[in-house]
Amino acid sequence: MDSAAAAPHFVHPPTTTGLDNRKVAIWAFIGSECMLFASLISTYLIYKGRSVTGPFPHEACNPPQCAVALKPILNIPVTSASTFVLLMSSLFMVLALEAVENKGKAGYEGIRGSSKFWLMATAILGATFLGFQAFEFTSFVHEGLTIRTNLFGSSFFTLTGFHGAHVTVGVLWLLTLFAIDMRRGLGPKDALIVDICALYWHFVDVVWIAIFTLVYLIK
Amino acid sequence: MPFPTRPRVPVRAALTALLLLAAVAACSGAAPNSIFHRHSDFNREIDVLWKLLIGLGTAVFIFVEGLLIVTLVKFRKREGQAEPEHVHGNTTLEILWTIIPAVILIVISIPTIRSIFNTQARASADALQVEVIGHQWWWEFKYPQYGVVTANELYLPIGRKVNFTLHTNDVLHSFWIPQLGGKRDLISNRTNYLWFTPDSVGSAAFNGFCAEYCGASHANMRFRTFTVTPAEFAEWTVHQAGAAVGTTVATATVATPTLATPADSNRPKHVPGGGKGDSAQVAMNAPAVTTPATAPAATPAGFTGYPISRVATSNVIPTTPLPAEIAFTDPYGNPARGATLFAQGQGGCIGCHAIKGVPSAMGNIGPNLTHVGSRLTLAAGLYAMDAKHLARWIKNAPVMKPGVIMPTLGVGQYNPVTKSKMTVGLDDQQIADIVAYLLTLK
Amino acid sequence: MAYGSNTGLWSWLTTVDHKRIGTLYLFTALTFFMMGGFEAELIRAQLQHPNGRLLGAEVYNQMFTMHGTTMVFLAIMPLSAAFFNFLIPLQIGARDVAFPRLNAFSYWVYLFGGIFMNLSWFVGQAPNGGWFGYAPLTTMAYSPLLNIDFWVLGLQILGVSSLAAAFNFITTIINMRAPGMNLMRMPMFTWMSFVVQFLLVLAFPVITIALVFLQFDRFFGTNFYTIAAGADPLLWQHLFWIFGHPEVYILILPAFGLVSEVLPTFSRKPLFGYPVMVYSGMLIAFLGFGVWAHHMFAVGMGPIADTMFSLATMLIAIPTGVKIFNWIFTMWGGNINFTVSMKFAIALVGLFTIGGISGVMHASPTADLQQTDSYFIVAHFHYVLFGGSMMGIFAGIYYYFPKFSGRMLSEKIGNWHFWLSFVGMNLTFFPMHFSGLAGMPRRIYQYDANQGWDTYNAMSSYGAYLLGFATLFLVYNMLKSWHGGAVAGNDPWGAPSLEWSIPSPPPDYNFAEIPRVSSRYPLWDVKSPELTTDVPHTREGEKRIDVDAAGQHVGGGKAIGNPAGASSGASRPTHVERNHKTAEELGIPMPYPTIKPLFVALFMVTMFSGMLLIHKDKLGLALAVIITSAMLMTGFLYAWLLSPLEPEHH
Repeated sequence: MDSAAAAPHFVHPPTTTGLDNRKVAIWAFIGSECMLFASLISTYLIYKGRSVTGPFPHEACNPPQCAVALKPILNIPVTSASTFVLLMSSLFMVLALEAVENKGKAGYEGIRGSSKFWLMATAILGATFLGFQAFEFTSFVHEGLTIRTNLFGSSFFTLTGFHGAHVTVGVLWLLTLFAIDMRRGLGPKDALIVDICALYWHFVDVVWIAIFTLVYLIK
Repeated sequence: MPFPTRPRVPVRAALTALLLLAAVAACSGAAPNSIFHRHSDFNREIDVLWKLLIGLGTAVFIFVEGLLIVTLVKFRKREGQAEPEHVHGNTTLEILWTIIPAVILIVISIPTIRSIFNTQARASADALQVEVIGHQWWWEFKYPQYGVVTANELYLPIGRKVNFTLHTNDVLHSFWIPQLGGKRDLISNRTNYLWFTPDSVGSAAFNGFCAEYCGASHANMRFRTFTVTPAEFAEWTVHQAGAAVGTTVATATVATPTLATPADSNRPKHVPGGGKGDSAQVAMNAPAVTTPATAPAATPAGFTGYPISRVATSNVIPTTPLPAEIAFTDPYGNPARGATLFAQGQGGCIGCHAIKGVPSAMGNIGPNLTHVGSRLTLAAGLYAMDAKHLARWIKNAPVMKPGVIMPTLGVGQYNPVTKSKMTVGLDDQQIADIVAYLLTLK
Repeated sequence: MAYGSNTGLWSWLTTVDHKRIGTLYLFTALTFFMMGGFEAELIRAQLQHPNGRLLGAEVYNQMFTMHGTTMVFLAIMPLSAAFFNFLIPLQIGARDVAFPRLNAFSYWVYLFGGIFMNLSWFVGQAPNGGWFGYAPLTTMAYSPLLNIDFWVLGLQILGVSSLAAAFNFITTIINMRAPGMNLMRMPMFTWMSFVVQFLLVLAFPVITIALVFLQFDRFFGTNFYTIAAGADPLLWQHLFWIFGHPEVYILILPAFGLVSEVLPTFSRKPLFGYPVMVYSGMLIAFLGFGVWAHHMFAVGMGPIADTMFSLATMLIAIPTGVKIFNWIFTMWGGNINFTVSMKFAIALVGLFTIGGISGVMHASPTADLQQTDSYFIVAHFHYVLFGGSMMGIFAGIYYYFPKFSGRMLSEKIGNWHFWLSFVGMNLTFFPMHFSGLAGMPRRIYQYDANQGWDTYNAMSSYGAYLLGFATLFLVYNMLKSWHGGAVAGNDPWGAPSLEWSIPSPPPDYNFAEIPRVSSRYPLWDVKSPELTTDVPHTREGEKRIDVDAAGQHVGGGKAIGNPAGASSGASRPTHVERNHKTAEELGIPMPYPTIKPLFVALFMVTMFSGMLLIHKDKLGLALAVIITSAMLMTGFLYAWLLSPLEPEHH
């Protein structure tokens, strides 16, 4: 609850922990999200190697199992690049929060203090990641892997699709913050709302590290 | 029955009455499917656990409820009583009632773990192998060592370990014969095992059930288990592995065109082979029809099936009432004519059912009918196997068993699947003939 | 419009007051409870005789599926939520929950989700896969109609409601406690609720994913449960029960909490072993995540897994047993006042014990193979859920109705309700132990005569009719007493916790001044400090402060609750005091009433229901409904998030 602006006799009692309610809630939310992705990732791993037909992630599929010979489908170099983009976006998010928190302070003039720039940059990197994902999904479909093809396709597209949906929400969130920043400017008193977005964004990033390791890197 | 329906009946007295009632019912022998019958090694294993669980459970129950009642009586509010002392806890007591349940649980867990490993050990190699295949909503039993395929009625020799291999053809089911052992699920894409040795009671009939909800007719997915002597079992397997005996197709009674109603074209799509009724298919089936085997009702030798006379209690023969909406005129059925109709594909029976010895009957959707006349029950333990029930079953199975794949075959019948009246199909005479034929297949 | 009008339909649609939302939850959930109960009556009527002919197989299967789903998701959980909403802020000395509008949203999602699921009756395709909907029966191959669609979408909607509420209550309890209300001074109901919120947060995402897989399979042709593609049906079972077992504790722990409030009050003694009660609740919840596969002993997991899950399950019996003994010893040495509320609470102790004992029996896998999926299990979980959860909730209703409404429920009618329920419940469910051991599988719509089950089933059916009759007394009592009951006053029972320090019903701001708390039993400290001298109620070195919690209305002396009688003497008020100051007069900022959460919830539900049109081969219309709903939902969500919660300047 915002207590800063209220008149003296209107003051809300301080919270028990001293943290803002929204900060506590976002941690509870992230705890819940962990279970969501844990379920998705576990399902992927349980179904790994159980598909009765190709394409497979790391192995070729040859006749008679598949009608035509299929190469391993995962493109690790491209996904490494998109992973790098997402990691960089987390760095930019840190810089955006820092810019908001220290707006107007010495040493935060110019680009370093431009929360607009960093918010937009983070959003653009997020969107770039989504672009990579769109490219990956399209090329998989062209190579014969859809969400209906086999267990791998179902669990892969659902897992990465859920992650992509989370990134999309994050990008919209960043753009909303950017719009607010454009309209009235974000300053130290708004640090909390940027902080909460940043927590979400870092979480989504960490989840991707797990997905990239477990789905792409481990054969 | 003295139901405690009034309020303020002393509560514990009501509970006691319930317990007594239950005990009376349990001891009166009116529990033919009770899990407490120890008719197999598996159930005796469980019985040890049950004795322990019920003994300790009763002790805990009496202790806790007793303590509760004593507390309630002793410390009920009285007039002019002072505020009670505010006690906040007692570490010794609390440790005590942590440790005592822990000890009780250890006492339970030791035989529990032993029984887990005992009952899930590998079955010995010389065990009788039975493959159980679950279907919506019937049971297929295969004896690979003997080449026997049957349905809904299981024959087990006394004193020989039987190892069930459990599969399902569709959704999940669970194989359960309460008197002989615990249940085991039939799981798609998996193979499960269960073994036990039926013993100690000699020849007997046991009811079995599907214990995992499996759709519309889950309640109607029952089966019977007959334990027989090893000698009887040997005769039974020889007989069951053989081709059909009984009425066979006679050239003399090849159906006249007037008698043969074309197989109906409205039949639901899910009956393979039951579609067209075109001449090509009939022609293909022709060899069976022209087989000049005329001998009526060859009586098989030896033990061919559990005789109804041996079914001591009425709980084996189902008493499910017939649905009123299926009228049947009960004409005299001619088995020879029925054999011909069947082999020709009238009604489409052969699309789903197989009869060994009738080359046209190769279907594998429904139960194998080679020795259908030797069975005591129909439709997975739902009805008695007799002319009355079988005729109505053929006439309109979906009305008799909700959701069943077997279609409505009687002309003029309301088909609950297509929600329309059948304009084509078998008439009562044809049905009576087929019934007469099937019942000869001992 | 900072202080919206307090009456009229609009005020209820736009309310963000936790007490009003709690009241909405209470009455909605009781309505669904009656519906679930009616379904149960039909089930019992069908089974009263062998080869029953009342319902067909298809209708029966829908009936038991909806009975289970309704009772779990639409009755017991929301009844608990009614108490979470109403009580948690009052018990911790807060003016509202952390996110009042999110709270309203949770309620509306629940209401619309419940309605959505029950609309399936009107198209004759109610869910029919059982409440745990095992794949592959629930896939398109075996359930091609809308039945399962209603179920899979409905449960996802309800999951949103539960999760949103859980984030809200976790934040409320962590962050909004009054000064001095440290964790070990929280009332036991708030403690158990706190534990439940963590269970919700961690368990619901798992079922959500299981349901998403099923939804994708049904609507988009994925293969998660497609047998031909090599899928493993046990995936569903594991995901479902990883949710499903914690769900059992989600259903029972709030009732444990309520009973832990009622027993001390009517025994005139503090809760015995408070810390152990807290720790055992936490331990139950923690262990509850490691025992899910005891629902699956019949699937053949192998001896090692069976042993592990068996031992873990037995372990849970220990903290549960500790609770039972602590309750009994709370009463031991007390002055037990047998109010209706107390009777229900005592019934929980006695009946839950029975469910607990049969629970230990299931923990032994080999023995469980003879129990699982039989009526023995049905008996067990009804002893836990009716004998436990519902008895606790009834105790809570009789105890807190005065706080909700300012009026007492009639003890006389309440006694009828209690005794008929108690006898009816045992007559219904005790014979099920025997029909189960006599080999009767569950979920069968008909059974043959001569199986040894007839008597037990007849008894169960008569018991169920009695139980249904008993519930009518509760309804009558609530309707009659809402306006016509005896006036309650602040603290009709002489109870110890903060919620009894303020008027009944409480003013919209709850506490005129936020109380300072110095013990677990603040009101008992005020009224009879000599009785609580050994309560560890002060931090070391801290001076003890006698709490006059709201600065007014601390009640009159030792009012030992006997609303019908005269024991509380002349100090009882004769009318409901509603003349307390308004929030405006006191200068307390109150959240604006708002309709936005309702619209967000509404369009979320229409978005989900648009999916149904896909299976009606109306893809274009479906997309139109889904996209329009999604846009409206997002629009209202933005409007909600960007509008201020409460007046900022005065």
